Amino acid sequence: MTSRQKYNLALLVFTVPTLLFFTVIVIVPIIQTFQKSFFDWDGLTPATFIGMDNYKRLLTDDDFWVSLKNGLIFAFVLVVYQMGLGTILAIALSNKSIRGRKFFKTSYFIPVVLSGVVVSQLWISIYNADGGLLNSIFSALGLDYQQAWLSGEHTSIWAIAFTNAWQNMGVQLVLIYTAIKSIPEHLYEAAKIDGAPFWKTHWKITIPLLGETYKFCLIIAITGGLNAFQNMFVMTNGGPGNISYTLTFMMYKAAFRSGEYGYGSAASAILVIECLLFTILINKLVAREKISY
Amino acid sequence: MLKRLTNRTLIYVPLSLFVLLSLYPLIWLLFYSFKTNEEIFSTNVFGIPKQWHFENYQNAFSAFDLLNYFKNSLVVSVGTVVFTVILSLMFSYAAARMKWRLANGAKIYMTIGMFIPMQIILIPLLILERTFHLQNSYLAVIVPYVAFQLSFATIIFFAFFRTLPYEIEESASIDGASVYTTFFKIMVPLVKPAIASVSIFVFLYAWNEFLVALVMISDNALKTLPLGLLYFQTQFTSDWGAMGAVMVISTIPTVLIYLLFSEQVENALTVSSAVKG
Repeated sequence: MTSRQKYNLALLVFTVPTLLFFTVIVIVPIIQTFQKSFFDWDGLTPATFIGMDNYKRLLTDDDFWVSLKNGLIFAFVLVVYQMGLGTILAIALSNKSIRGRKFFKTSYFIPVVLSGVVVSQLWISIYNADGGLLNSIFSALGLDYQQAWLSGEHTSIWAIAFTNAWQNMGVQLVLIYTAIKSIPEHLYEAAKIDGAPFWKTHWKITIPLLGETYKFCLIIAITGGLNAFQNMFVMTNGGPGNISYTLTFMMYKAAFRSGEYGYGSAASAILVIECLLFTILINKLVAREKISY
Repeated sequence: MLKRLTNRTLIYVPLSLFVLLSLYPLIWLLFYSFKTNEEIFSTNVFGIPKQWHFENYQNAFSAFDLLNYFKNSLVVSVGTVVFTVILSLMFSYAAARMKWRLANGAKIYMTIGMFIPMQIILIPLLILERTFHLQNSYLAVIVPYVAFQLSFATIIFFAFFRTLPYEIEESASIDGASVYTTFFKIMVPLVKPAIASVSIFVFLYAWNEFLVALVMISDNALKTLPLGLLYFQTQFTSDWGAMGAVMVISTIPTVLIYLLFSEQVENALTVSSAVKG
């Protein structure tokens, strides 16, 4: 074998297993999901082509609209809580005179490494209507906000979304914090000489420079919200009724509980399209120009 | 002076309040794993247990095959890490350092997984696993975990390989080293920090993953910890203390790993964020 042939053989050995594996397990199933969304299929017997019927059925299904709305609420809560709080805490921590920065950062990040099931179960007892932590805090403060958080029609999805926002805020914090640390010191000098106040300096200088990071944060928060499943599965099982449904929950229920694989595929196809739309939109609207220092 | 002091308080007070918000629920969980139901929900909601009920932990272990769930999670997580690292390391090396026309296209192709929600493949994947009789084996979850973590791992390794000077391969090939020797003896040791980051990240992911495991594993003997916790929740709804004990035990490994390797976890997160968007 010539050395060129040996090189090419090595190239195949290094790339083909990974590419093949990825194609079979990820890419082909993605295509199949879209394809099967046009079929009536129970996963066992041969599928029958029914054109757009699954999609038409989605449009008339109350569960679908509730799921769509809940996905957006979930995404909204994640964006506001994680990015808002992440920004404020990261800016405060970026101040070099703060002691114990490592301690603060670690504390905010710890919930991220917990299992979502543990966090969901923990918050079930926090939200517990009879003497749960949250209601106990309200009664200790003499406030009259006690309620059944997880089963209330207007509180359920917000309470569930907050659980997820609470758990994963640390991710956004670390991303924003790292981005702030990479901003060169000299950009702040003029503001320092002018004696501009702390928060104004950051509002005018830091935040505009975080465009690229915010873009990424927005994408993970929004797609994370649209994809939500685990929290409601453990905390409310989608209920009461369908008030805490999401598209993934719908897909799970249709395919794995009712055996309607085609209908479930249509729900997950919509989910992917929704995620892609938001990703494209964010790329178009946020931080179109790359910043280099 | 006074202004400086108020400025300081203005920063430390909210920072500490949010530490409380992040950690108090976990401390509360730790306390309640030692309490009775009565204490948890009425007599002593907030504080340290009046009496430490260690029997909650005993009950948890005896009512529930905790060790088996633990073992399953460990096998699945380690297996996922090993296969993900090997496959993505070899591929990223070829994409970042070897000369071929499709290198860039292949790399972009491999990162698609970062943009696609994993649940979309569940239905076809279940059929695929049924066909190959993978269901109810460790591979039922290891295979999809590896496939979906490949994108993330490839991004990290690719970025690391790109930072190494090209003279390394040149001098290695002058010395007559084959591609394999160069890769295993020279390049892999150089990217050890990246391997550490990816391994920890992938381990945490596999340890905590829920949805795929839920769909692919029904055999109780093979369930991972998150599924075990769910099972416990439905079986022992009234024993909150023992439930708390199970939650504490299953959480300890990931928190320890994070406390030991927080730098690596945060680095991996930041490097991968540079690609999306």
